[in-house]
Amino acid sequence: MKITDACVYPYPRGDSSVRRMALDAKALGFDRLVAADTPSGEFYGIEIVTGTLIRDTPIRDLINQIKRQRNNAAVVSVQAGDNGYNRSAISVKGVHILRGLHSADKNAFDHITAKIAADNRVAIDLDLSPLLFGRGFTRQRALLRYRDILVLERRYEFPLTLSSYARSILDMRAVREITGLCSLFGMDTPDVEMAFSGVDIITSLPDSAVRVI
Amino acid sequence: MSTRPPTLRVKRRYLLIRIEPAGTIIDQKDLHYAISDAVTSLWGDAVAAVIMSAVVASEGQYMIIRCQRGAEQDLSIALSTITKCCEIPIALRLVAASGTINTLREKIRRVKIPESESISPRECTFDKKLFQINACNGQKIDVIEKGFKNTNRLFLTREDLEEL
Repeated sequence: MKITDACVYPYPRGDSSVRRMALDAKALGFDRLVAADTPSGEFYGIEIVTGTLIRDTPIRDLINQIKRQRNNAAVVSVQAGDNGYNRSAISVKGVHILRGLHSADKNAFDHITAKIAADNRVAIDLDLSPLLFGRGFTRQRALLRYRDILVLERRYEFPLTLSSYARSILDMRAVREITGLCSLFGMDTPDVEMAFSGVDIITSLPDSAVRVI
Repeated sequence: MSTRPPTLRVKRRYLLIRIEPAGTIIDQKDLHYAISDAVTSLWGDAVAAVIMSAVVASEGQYMIIRCQRGAEQDLSIALSTITKCCEIPIALRLVAASGTINTLREKIRRVKIPESESISPRECTFDKKLFQINACNGQKIDVIEKGFKNTNRLFLTREDLEEL
């Protein structure tokens, strides 16, 4: 199980090169980074996985875009919308992560969506940037949403991922600091470790329905 | 007011933090306000009063922050939410915690690395743009674009520059 930051934005989207992010990620205790629109590779012992974020796209276009992505081993994420959109999006084969639930509609993620996510092994992303950069209502709302997601996660056991959305090395946080931040919304250390390895779960092949003994 | 006997004194812990990026000069008072703001924003006034944070010393990139014993975890969570100080983007990296300032000073002496190595030339090109090297430490190189506009800092490595 590799400790993974599920979304960073290296240069040119951010101000740090992917190598520098890898160098700092190593010092901060990570094993892998999912870097948006960056080719896969390995720098300073840190594995870089390509990440693709699809946002504001109707379901039909989403399916077409994912078909195009299927050959390269990218982690495909979809920005959350309303409840109907989320249910459809996580049902599409090839979608790995549903992101941005902290800023989505209040009813965007319910128990039925949670069940679909668990069945399709789609991870729900917990974005740490509102906890780091937000103050007041923004942070309170994110904490409230994450608490609610955790309630559903404990019941349906869908995978979780943790993302810093770092656009700079200054936005990256150490594993211990992230564990502390996650404790704000009720995640204990084993939960955080599980969430850090969420990318492993969603990118590994599912267990086959039939097992030869 | 006479000093209290040791058993009645408030037990304290000291956190050693490193300020990033390298070469950023932050006034102790400004950092204190930033920490106080972050602690109050995250935990509220009641817990902030229990934490009793204060910046007690600074040595170059390193600062020592005092808090009440048992409140280190709360303070370190609040420290991780600090992203700016006086509109300067910074990150505070927790290096160590101790019961005495002396131990942390020794730690600074042990881990202290050269502030900035000399590198030649002091200018470089990256992504077809001319940059001035601002700080250099091992593999890490911080550069600032030359010119009046867009003087943002970029964080690169030696390999990024060698590749061009």
